Amino acid sequence: MAFWRLFRRNRSAVFGLAILVAVLVLAATASMLFPGDPFKLAGQPMSAPGTNGFLLGSDTLGRDVASGIAHGAQTSLLIGALATVVAVMLGVVFGGLAGYYGGWIDDVLMRVTEVFQTIPSFLFAILIVAIIKPSISSIVIAIAVVSWPAVARLVRGEYISLRHREFVQACHITGMSDARIMLREILPNCLSPIIVAGSLMVATAILIESGLSFLGLGDPNIISWGFQIGAGRTVLRSAWWVCTFPGVAILLTVLAINLVGEGLNDALNPRLRERS
Amino acid sequence: MFNIKQKRLGVAVALMAVFSTAALAQKSGGTYVFVLHPEPPSLAPHLSTSGPIGQVAPKVYQGLLDYDEDFNPVPELAESFDVSPDGLTVTFNLQRNVTWHDGRPFTSADVRFSVMDVLKKFHPRGPNSFREVYEIQTPDEHTAIFKLEKAAPYMMKALSSYESPMVPKHLLEGTDIRDNEITNKPVGTGPFKFVEWKKGQYIRLDKNENYWKPGLPRLDRVVARIIPDASTRTAAMENGEVFYGAFDAIQPVDVIRLRDIDGIGVTTKGYASINPMSLIEFNTQKAPFNQAAIRNAVSLVVDRQFMIDNIWYGYGKKAVSALSSRFASAGLHAATGNYPAEPNVAAAVKLLDDAGYAPDDNGVRARAVLDVIPYGEQWRRAGEYLKQALAEVGIALDLRYEDVPTWLNRVYNEYDYQINLNYFYQLPDPVIGVHRHYGTDQIRKGTPFVNGTRYSDAGLDALLASGASEPDAKKRGEIYEQIQNKLDADMPVMNLFEMEFVIVYNEKLKEFTFSGMGPYSSFDRTWLDQ
Repeated sequence: MAFWRLFRRNRSAVFGLAILVAVLVLAATASMLFPGDPFKLAGQPMSAPGTNGFLLGSDTLGRDVASGIAHGAQTSLLIGALATVVAVMLGVVFGGLAGYYGGWIDDVLMRVTEVFQTIPSFLFAILIVAIIKPSISSIVIAIAVVSWPAVARLVRGEYISLRHREFVQACHITGMSDARIMLREILPNCLSPIIVAGSLMVATAILIESGLSFLGLGDPNIISWGFQIGAGRTVLRSAWWVCTFPGVAILLTVLAINLVGEGLNDALNPRLRERS
Repeated sequence: MFNIKQKRLGVAVALMAVFSTAALAQKSGGTYVFVLHPEPPSLAPHLSTSGPIGQVAPKVYQGLLDYDEDFNPVPELAESFDVSPDGLTVTFNLQRNVTWHDGRPFTSADVRFSVMDVLKKFHPRGPNSFREVYEIQTPDEHTAIFKLEKAAPYMMKALSSYESPMVPKHLLEGTDIRDNEITNKPVGTGPFKFVEWKKGQYIRLDKNENYWKPGLPRLDRVVARIIPDASTRTAAMENGEVFYGAFDAIQPVDVIRLRDIDGIGVTTKGYASINPMSLIEFNTQKAPFNQAAIRNAVSLVVDRQFMIDNIWYGYGKKAVSALSSRFASAGLHAATGNYPAEPNVAAAVKLLDDAGYAPDDNGVRARAVLDVIPYGEQWRRAGEYLKQALAEVGIALDLRYEDVPTWLNRVYNEYDYQINLNYFYQLPDPVIGVHRHYGTDQIRKGTPFVNGTRYSDAGLDALLASGASEPDAKKRGEIYEQIQNKLDADMPVMNLFEMEFVIVYNEKLKEFTFSGMGPYSSFDRTWLDQ
């Protein structure tokens, strides 16, 4: 409860959490609210919001924009979460090994990380998806590949600062294995910055996925917000609703996740704990 | 057979000169700028049929004939022609006083050289168009007599400057044709002379003062501006910097916007020679589309008008048979039964039931991957539509988009596909544009846009062969009716709709649609209202 007390102090974080919960509920209930395929040609194409039985209008082929947003929430959150988990795992392994052992291992791993960091991340993601065919898994891989270096840097820094602490030296003396020290002793102590970085990474992942889908590099068989915007872009002047509502959905979700991340930072960072 | 005497042309020109002396002053002069996209690989229409070459080269080179919008022949370098009743001898009477841009006279020797030594050997479609020509006799400088093994009515549709340009013998003979200087610096007989090609920027052509048509060309200069970025092209059109954009120079969504602007017009005329048709290819050797019944069912279900209206902004015409209705003027078009006026789901379901495609617990009768031609967004929307439409009768599709080389390799080399969304050019005659998709001899592994369905039927092959060499128009029509019925029943390829490409133009530009070759025409009569 102490955590919640700290988190709650940040009003905007609570606001963000509320939106995020709403998006989660929408994603969870999408199939009940809008049964059937969101690609279904549900009625008159280009219907304005509120007409022909479309709450948020229909697109150029008569697909329900609202249904697309609900089902797209699943895609966005799924990809955001999966890509983040993969990126964090990669980052922890690379950063942990580099920070813990130092020396040539550190040099090698960090040079590899830098190779990834020097390529502009979105272009790199486009390249990866274009090479392996567009699908959910290739998008997750692409986002993870461009996102993990930041985590690796962060984790490496934490490990370097923690590896000479007394409690770690005590573990060495008791004969604990390196793996156990890294995972069971040091990792829990640098979990808070990882959680904060990870939460923000979810937002970035959603943005990258939307960008890829917008450019037509998404999974063609799965609806997503970026796809909806990309498909509606050509009719922006004549049917504003096709792009606008998915755009608002992306905006709110990414904003919410950023606010929650900020709140987590406030609540988990001991140096900020007493900030009033 | 038509035969326009030069005298009549002379009278027409004289009359025009009398009646429009006042107008003539305004009708001449000016620099015509059009937008060209993408940049052409060369300016050698005798070596490549690439579209951007076709928009520049016919202003420099000319063919024996030109064509009107219905693809009837119009005299060009040939003042008249005569086909013998058996179709085995075609005599061309050439215009007099025609000179190449370097001053040398154009003669029947150039015609023989162009056809026998260049087009038949180096042109992509030339070997097919002039397949039956074994000799060209040149009794005098102004007569060329084509001798044919078999009648080839389709050859008479392939004599435009785009399809079969006449090239200068004195500059090409004895050189490496593919690597001659004129590949990038064309020398022709046409209304405009090549001046300069600034790569990535523009191609400039200036008026040919010695052009053989009196009083023409009207324009002083033609500039093809190469603009790689789509929105810059649209802006140039909107600002009046360019007067004309054909094919995909202006993106469909911008066409819709520009056509409402004063001073800018949009037309679909000028693409008769290309005759594009959107369609679906089925892999006839792979489940589930290896039976005619399911292919016919697909045709019965698809709402072609919906696709035209909602994806192609109304530009298009529903297909009603294997051949485009643009062949109707030649008597080669007949509507067939599996192209319904309205989608008929019940009939499709019955076909599938009878053929044994039983639905499973989820109502799915067949599963397949639909490959979508990677030529832009409209095709993706079409793929999404088809997926939904076919789901109605239990054909479950997954969509696949790939890059162009991968996709071409999959469909025309590996044959590793089930159903493919695509479009073909049916061109001015079925022999040139359509036979290549159906003939057994056109199953050519690794060659794109031929028979990728691997459909093979001896009866059809025989019909195609007799259709190609039948000189009598009526009998030829009957043969093509049988061909269309056969292809309707077997349907290895299912046509969706006749595509209507657009030309966006500035309304100051006049008389640019006089030729059926449209963007591939000479523009010698075109003028600017200044």
